Amino acid sequence: MNSGIDLQGTFIESLQGFGLPAGAAKAIWMPLPMLIVLVGSTVAVLIAVWMERKVSAAAQQRIGPEYIGPLGILAPLADGLKLVFKEDIIPAKADKWLFTFGPMIVVIPVFLSFLIVPFGENLLISDVGMGVFLWIALSSVVPIGLLMSGYASNNKYSLLGGLRATAQSLAYEIPLSLAVMAIAMMSNSLSTVDIVQHQSGYGLLGWNVWRQPIGFVIFFIAALAECERTPFDLPEAEEELVAGYQTEYSGMKFALFYLGSYVNLTLSALLVSILYLGGWEAPIPVGLISSTFNISDTTPWLQVVTGAIGILMTLVKTYALVFFIVLIRWTIPRVRIDQLLNLGWKFLLPVALANLLATAGLKLTFPAFFGG
Amino acid sequence: MLKFLKQVGDYTKEVVQSAKYIGQGLSVTFDHMRRRPVTVQYPYEKLIPSERFRGRIHFEFDKCISCEVCVRVCPINLPVVDWEFNKATKKKELKHYSIDFGVCIFCGNCVEYCPTNCLSMTEEYELAVYERHELNYDSVALGRLPYKVTDDPMVTPMREFAYLPKGVMNPHDLPAGSRRAGKTPQEIVAETQAAQAKVSAITEG
Repeated sequence: MNSGIDLQGTFIESLQGFGLPAGAAKAIWMPLPMLIVLVGSTVAVLIAVWMERKVSAAAQQRIGPEYIGPLGILAPLADGLKLVFKEDIIPAKADKWLFTFGPMIVVIPVFLSFLIVPFGENLLISDVGMGVFLWIALSSVVPIGLLMSGYASNNKYSLLGGLRATAQSLAYEIPLSLAVMAIAMMSNSLSTVDIVQHQSGYGLLGWNVWRQPIGFVIFFIAALAECERTPFDLPEAEEELVAGYQTEYSGMKFALFYLGSYVNLTLSALLVSILYLGGWEAPIPVGLISSTFNISDTTPWLQVVTGAIGILMTLVKTYALVFFIVLIRWTIPRVRIDQLLNLGWKFLLPVALANLLATAGLKLTFPAFFGG
Repeated sequence: MLKFLKQVGDYTKEVVQSAKYIGQGLSVTFDHMRRRPVTVQYPYEKLIPSERFRGRIHFEFDKCISCEVCVRVCPINLPVVDWEFNKATKKKELKHYSIDFGVCIFCGNCVEYCPTNCLSMTEEYELAVYERHELNYDSVALGRLPYKVTDDPMVTPMREFAYLPKGVMNPHDLPAGSRRAGKTPQEIVAETQAAQAKVSAITEG
């Protein structure tokens, strides 16, 4: 289904119709998907913050934000505005450049990773051939930012917090990569579009979660640890080290950390839904419905409907996972740093390795089911 | 080899058990979401303070005998009792009485020890002012009746936990005229009288 509405082609052609040369038309097209994804991811983060506030309140039998906009939907906007207007302090004797660049290095790779997130077969910025590998490589840049922030704060408790956060991040990267490797092995490709297409055609039954249940659990736990969400939120556990490596930050730099943690959360939920829950696939495949009504695949309105359903399904799965993650935050107690690292190195790593070996064995014995 | 397998088996059992505990916790958290929130949305809903609530102190000027027990019993000697001995009537005459609620700790000692019961504690707690000198209540301000939550047309009064019927946890949507849990003193008296009558009937008959 690679033909169909070609947004890029028609945009460039219409600009050429106005008299622009082809190269300039292409150059004007280039930033548009990136801008859309940037704006889209910011709005998605605002929705995630609103969900966190309301779901946390419901779990605690409270109401949550109510009067800031209808149903409190402007609450995250108020949060962001407050942080914009706060004074941006750099502590005395802190390394100014490291202090400033720390949050940037923590946040920018997360936004960059939105390059590979597909909302439909052609609805992504760029179909990089090694999609998920790019995400794992980019998320490995984050510990450097954490170390920079912790060290540059000129505060021994922030330093400790930064070291702990880095240890946590590194410990959970390997089980994450191993779980992704099992998926890539099954789908014969690292590209996110190929991974989703490999799960397509059978509706609900084709999702990877049935073929990789242990991998799903490992990936979910490792992604939670990478995002520093409870039960793994030791770096920002208020009772432990005040706010860990984020203690000395205020104003816009703190807003970067705050925003970055929710972007990371949304990105992880998106990737879980893409890798394991079928991405843009509806529980009943749209192709099945359209073929029963004998509508051809290339009719334009069907393409629009399919695209809309794809985006909707991706978002529904993502926010169901975000809901689950917020629920987990208020259910499970926080783990200590040694328990955290034990879990990462001594439990998840061997289980992920075993999962990879099992997947390899099953792929050789049942090539039809596990990706031939 | 066998010992290693046994270790793996034990570890797996522990993992399954912890997963079960987490699942039970999640079901509790999820169950909380279907309950009505207990939030008292001040200022549109206010709690009705309980009967012995230690709010602002009320003073009856005419009952005061200027004995100054309230001052001696107060931890900070706060009430200012301005009295003068009237030689003609051979009695103390109270000229002015004031309590500074910016300093008062609302312990209730003065109320407890007042011999003429001219001091009492009301249910008023909304004493916020723009300047702390306005908190120094004179005898006129002290004699005012308190603000009643049930009289305010803009406010839905909510009962506190102790005044809810048995088994009810949420003061919202309480049916009108619900009785609080427990028996009234009249009921307890009637019950003891009935029990005594029964006992005496048995011993006599």
